[in-house]
Amino acid sequence: MNVIEVENVWWTYKGREEPVLKNVNLRVEKGEFLGIMGPSSVGKTTLCLTFTGIIPQRVPGLFKGNVRVLGLDVKEIDVTELTRRVGVVFEDPESQFIMSTVEDELVIGLEPLNLSREEIRDRILWALDLVGLDKSFLDRSPLQLSGGEKQRVAIAAMLAKAPEILVLDEPTSDLDPLGKEEVLNVIKRIRDELDITIVVVEHESEILAELADRLVLLYDGKVVLEGSPKEFFSEVPKLISIGVYPPQITQLFYQLGRNSPPITLSEALKYEVLKLKKAVMEARPIKGVGDIIVECRNVSFSYEEDKFALKNVNLKIRLGEYIGLVGPNGSGKTTLAKLVAGLLKPSKGIVYINGKRIEEYDKLSLSSLVGYVFQNPDHQLFNQTVWDEVAFGLKLRGLSGDELESRVRRTLEIVGLQELAEEHPFFLSKGEKRRLALASILALEPKVLIVDEPTTGQDRGFSYRILSLLNDMRNRGITVIVITHSIPQLVKYADRLIVLKNGVVLADGNPREILADGSLVEEAKLTVPQVSVFMQKLGVSPIPLTVEEALNILE
Amino acid sequence: MPKTFFRDFIGLEVKETKYQKLHVFSKILIPLSLSFSILFVKDVFSALILVFTSLFLCKIAGIPLGFIKKYLVIIISLTSFISLSFMLFTSMPGNVVFFEYTLVEIRAEKGVAEWKITISDASLNATMVFVSRIFAMVLSAVLLLGSVSDRELIWGLRSIGVPYGACLSIALFFKGLQLFVSDFYTVRDAMVIRGVDLDRMSLASKFKLYVNALIPLLTLLITRSYEISLALESRGISPSSKVPTRYHVPEFRLCDFAAIALSLAIAMFFYFCPSLWG
Repeated sequence: MNVIEVENVWWTYKGREEPVLKNVNLRVEKGEFLGIMGPSSVGKTTLCLTFTGIIPQRVPGLFKGNVRVLGLDVKEIDVTELTRRVGVVFEDPESQFIMSTVEDELVIGLEPLNLSREEIRDRILWALDLVGLDKSFLDRSPLQLSGGEKQRVAIAAMLAKAPEILVLDEPTSDLDPLGKEEVLNVIKRIRDELDITIVVVEHESEILAELADRLVLLYDGKVVLEGSPKEFFSEVPKLISIGVYPPQITQLFYQLGRNSPPITLSEALKYEVLKLKKAVMEARPIKGVGDIIVECRNVSFSYEEDKFALKNVNLKIRLGEYIGLVGPNGSGKTTLAKLVAGLLKPSKGIVYINGKRIEEYDKLSLSSLVGYVFQNPDHQLFNQTVWDEVAFGLKLRGLSGDELESRVRRTLEIVGLQELAEEHPFFLSKGEKRRLALASILALEPKVLIVDEPTTGQDRGFSYRILSLLNDMRNRGITVIVITHSIPQLVKYADRLIVLKNGVVLADGNPREILADGSLVEEAKLTVPQVSVFMQKLGVSPIPLTVEEALNILE
Repeated sequence: MPKTFFRDFIGLEVKETKYQKLHVFSKILIPLSLSFSILFVKDVFSALILVFTSLFLCKIAGIPLGFIKKYLVIIISLTSFISLSFMLFTSMPGNVVFFEYTLVEIRAEKGVAEWKITISDASLNATMVFVSRIFAMVLSAVLLLGSVSDRELIWGLRSIGVPYGACLSIALFFKGLQLFVSDFYTVRDAMVIRGVDLDRMSLASKFKLYVNALIPLLTLLITRSYEISLALESRGISPSSKVPTRYHVPEFRLCDFAAIALSLAIAMFFYFCPSLWG
């Protein structure tokens, strides 16, 4: 029995000419686990919103076609009625929270259901238990929970309504590896214990390869590929060409010319014995060979008295290095980056930039040496045109005329935004905004560029493009420091990882050695590339970090 | 630790006291009666009683007043401006003049126009009353923000029959306010990282820059509003939602009736006796 039927659906948001959904057809069976994949901005969230009737009833736009959910026509059924039977969890848990305690967050969705107070209480405790949280969370503020806990509260708020369909829109993309693991365990538990249909939108193919019964690929507003995970991921070139990356293990076996490549690690390990053509992985040459540009000596920092966010950090960073600053949420990554950028002052210790104590610089000269790109580009764009945005910092430094003109033009060319110079930043796409935020800092020609979570919430194609752009910056002699959880993408370029946990540097060194250290990986909850895990299990040491590296040593 | 607006906005922890356990209606009514009384006090003595009453109530509410030290510069500047305005721009000769200096004197056919600095018993009294009223006002606001939380406010309002949609709007207002403040600081940091030195800027440049900051702040406001409205709709909640059950039902206890009586007594006392001294 189909619980969701989408027939010839077209949807155009009001004020836009191009439809987001273009003749989408889709069916979901009762109890099925459906995964929806596709690059960013192809209409995945829009499609999910049609399952609740929010589109077409609440969002202004033009709708054509039919969507029937649980036998009800979404054009006619009361949205409130339908959302009681279909739960939707969005990507950013924080934007979903309204109330100031976990208990109230669950209560707010249950009070309209005409349940008694006792029933509400029972449902709250049941839902929290299902997502692995206990009574002690009831009184806590959702905003003070970890990323994984926040998303579990958001899922619990939906489960408490006992929906027949649960839609999870990129539930793990904003989370650190620990949070991701927690949420995935919850999804597995829901799938195994409840009689519920699950639809998950996800960029991480490794996750869907393990969980989904069926996958669909949405591209350019249409379903362009559909099948079991095995069938779906075997279309390696097609998927990669549109920016959806199959599991690394599938890519590896596909490149080795195997038919029906495995899609999970456990499947790959049963597959066949691969032969090594080289016994030893060649070390990647380290490119950062310049002078020391940043030095932290015994640096500590506390936001509150006696609660240290950073403890006794000692680091030396050289010109031209590409560094990944990694570790769980709350480990002190952003704090360390802000100390280096001069946005925070150390409680103890000294930060040196280019051999001089950081406090000896004024704001203008420090910002000419250290640039910081914020996670959300919307925080960083405050001018009327793309051109003005890039020129802002240069004008502050007294540049004008031809010199200003050529610096802005050159920077816009580097990030590929020269065609949009007169556009208002507000009207750029999310990817363009990110590039503009980067350009606004690059124009100042800093020696150190710190980029905070550039890949969070982005598809793999975009993540590789932005990390590759940063690699170009490194090749120009700039030190690049990337704060990220996307280690599998980062290690394609980074030659050094600094691992933080609880404000302490746990490890600092070559990614190959750090990711091969099982106990360190477990302690800091680092995501090791799937291909590295596989090769390690085959006994390869040192481990390859990318599919290309693995192919080099396999016959 | 009780959840309060202070805890949400400035991270101030308030002690768990009996006052904190009062019904939210009582906790709103008490500071309201203090604010109401401020309108009527006329002499220093009454104003000081009001200040000490507010201080006492803050104390029994478990609000650590040490945090006011951070705002001392603002309070002192405000007090100085008030004092100056009573001495510089308002001529209050009173009964005893301690100091008098004529700044400008214009003699014309129809009389003399003067601008004087006058420090007299009347100007000092007026200054002290005004300053005490401001202190009382600040303390009553502290009492409210240090004892009430957004969730309590919503329960309280619902318990007195305010529609669900209105209560939800209040919750969203406070959430929006918190996000706006945090976004503002991030945008300011983003400006600093481009070389903006707010400490060394002229007021005009600072103003222009803050106007610019409105662009990202409004963009974020629009994006967040859209996300929140989607989140609400997806939970089946809309302003017109009918909500038959009230999960939190705060009860009125004997101490609440006593607190309400006290509030009314304070307001009536100052209404009928605005001046206790002379």
